[in-house]
Amino acid sequence: MNIAVLLKQVPDTTAKINVSNGKVDENSVSKWSMSPYDEYALESGLQMKEATGGVLIAIACGPERNKKMLTDAAAVGADTLIHISVDGILDSIQVQNFLAAVIKNNEVDVVLCGKQAADTNAGSTGPGVAEILDAACVTMVSEVSFIENKFISVRPSISGTEKVSTNGLSVFTFDKGVSELRRPNVRGIMMAKKKVIETIKPENLGLEGSDSERVLLKAQNSPPEKEPGQIFEGVGEIPTIISKLRNEANVI
Amino acid sequence: MGYEALDFYEVDSLLSDEERMVRDMVRDWVDEEVIPKIENACREGVFPDEWRVALGEMGVLGAPLKGYECPGLSYTAYGVICRELERGDSGLRSFASVQGSLAMYPIWDFGSEEQKNYYLPKMASGEWIGCFGLTEPDYGSNPGDMITKAEEVGDNYILNGAKMWITNGTIADLAIVWAKLDGVIRGFIVEKNDPGFSAPEMKGKHSLKASVTSELVFQDCKIPKNRILPGVKGLRGPFSCLNNARFGISWGAVGAAQACFHSAKDYAMSRIQFDHPIASYQLVQNKLSWMLREITKAQLLAYHLGQKKDSGDWIPEHISLAKMNNVDIALEIARVARDIHGANGILDEYPVMRHMANLESVKTYEGTHDIHNLILGRYITGIQSFTRGI
Ligand SMILES: Cc1cc2nc3c(=O)[nH]c(=O)nc-3n(C[C@H](O)[C@H](O)[C@H](O)COP(=O)(O)OP(=O)(O)OC[C@H]3O[C@@H](n4cnc5c(N)ncnc54)[C@H](O)[C@@H]3O)c2cc1C
Repeated sequence: MNIAVLLKQVPDTTAKINVSNGKVDENSVSKWSMSPYDEYALESGLQMKEATGGVLIAIACGPERNKKMLTDAAAVGADTLIHISVDGILDSIQVQNFLAAVIKNNEVDVVLCGKQAADTNAGSTGPGVAEILDAACVTMVSEVSFIENKFISVRPSISGTEKVSTNGLSVFTFDKGVSELRRPNVRGIMMAKKKVIETIKPENLGLEGSDSERVLLKAQNSPPEKEPGQIFEGVGEIPTIISKLRNEANVI
Repeated sequence: MGYEALDFYEVDSLLSDEERMVRDMVRDWVDEEVIPKIENACREGVFPDEWRVALGEMGVLGAPLKGYECPGLSYTAYGVICRELERGDSGLRSFASVQGSLAMYPIWDFGSEEQKNYYLPKMASGEWIGCFGLTEPDYGSNPGDMITKAEEVGDNYILNGAKMWITNGTIADLAIVWAKLDGVIRGFIVEKNDPGFSAPEMKGKHSLKASVTSELVFQDCKIPKNRILPGVKGLRGPFSCLNNARFGISWGAVGAAQACFHSAKDYAMSRIQFDHPIASYQLVQNKLSWMLREITKAQLLAYHLGQKKDSGDWIPEHISLAKMNNVDIALEIARVARDIHGANGILDEYPVMRHMANLESVKTYEGTHDIHNLILGRYITGIQSFTRGI
């Protein structure tokens, strides 16, 4: 079984984000990490690989720095690493087309990814890729397993959780999964170092018209500055606090 | 706030990709599994067994040793591992130093093929813990005059004597014991269930509380003949081990210093006195910039020594200088950091007092600060001044 896991590299949740001229200044991001929901997808992919004796193909689309993330994926067990090499901000439909093309070229049986990326939170990649591939798509799953030629996934439902069965090519987008991404070990790191990353330029994917942007990011802004907190001391201040909670914060 | 290691000169950019990946792996583990548990481990005076398991699973034990299922990393990577572990706690780094440099290394370098095949895989995986018995109650800086001795009796060696201050002793599955056979220092592998061997724990430490320290007692302790390390005689045996462990300590101390700097800086930025953050006062800035200066120098020393270790172009005196300097500045940085934290500095909510107390041991073990001074003094002048007889 060929298991594709789509990985996006995003600014680490601890990294400071600077915005200048209506754009996030990527050069000032001190640390890039694998998007957290993608980590759950990768762990689930690794477990499926172990259960089925399959091959795990990690695919990332983005600039050169994505190679580090792919090597990190290899250190925990990804077998094939594919880097779709692009610079700058991409239209989400373009990304979906690139990913779908690579998935097609690699005879993939199942696609796992995060439900949304920690930077854009758009949540469009998984369903978008499924649409292009004409694949079944189950969103917000916490686990997926391959049982008797079917994919059984678990997702939240109106009553708690539901189990969904799909067959044929299926795309699963992960919410918080049941198991955290495993830690690498030295052996994995040394093997990962030797692994070749297959780099693909979008123009070699044989897609027509994929360079025309349809979804355009116009401007990015920083969140508004938080108002400084207020400190009150002594019992005498209690009426002021109550009045502020009631009239300004509207919480009581 | 997440831990951001001080690296003013970006010395880590000189590491290989592999070394950086190992660093991130250990750093994340320390963040997630060590920092939240260390204060409790210290309070209870235990080394959590799950740390042994995790170190084995990560595959970092005996880092620079090659073959026999050992990791086969560079010495620089070993240094990086020590630094990241000691950022958590010196006791944790001690565990790894003893296992890798003091217990696995002598088997790897001086053991028989049979010993290597039998012990090293189990020790690299963390299944078996090792300890290193050199120091005796009456012989610390001067181990050459040790009393513990071995006698050949039939198919066995019989050991008699006592070792003291032995890290991991009580929890160890095997001990590398240095004892005199016909007046010559030799290494022996003693297993925990060997008759006549016991390893009672030493209690009451104010330092390295999360590390187990023990006595090793040998009363007609009987071991089979194939437990002697065939490949070395004399003090060169234990000293080769110490060279490697001291190398790791020179990196480890940087980690402890980075942790103290990190805490002191955060605290100084947020603590308001006389209407302003204390970080805005020149005296405090002077302390912080002195820390930055010393940590940066220590990082460069450690890195360059790592390169020398990896190329094989080093002498023990190079290691003495780095161990002595880096532990010295780390201890001083811990003290200044404690001062910057004011009264809060004595609480276990902050790591500074723990590091400070730990580093007192680190200053003493693996050759005291002044013993390293004497080693360098002998190097400079050609005159040994350890003892009066010349
Ligand atoms: C927590 C901890 C863990 C340890 N783990 C181990 C272990 O796993 N295995 C092991 O074998 N040992 C271990 N040790 C022992 C350690 O290596 C010794 O404590 C160290 O070698 C110093 O010996 P000592 O304590 O007997 O001090 P001493 O040798 O008595 O030294 C006392 C003081 O005298 C100074 N001094 C000594 N000789 C001279 C001289 N000639 N000139 C000037 N000054 C001198 C020293 O610098 C020091 O300041 C450990 C110690 C500690 C504290």
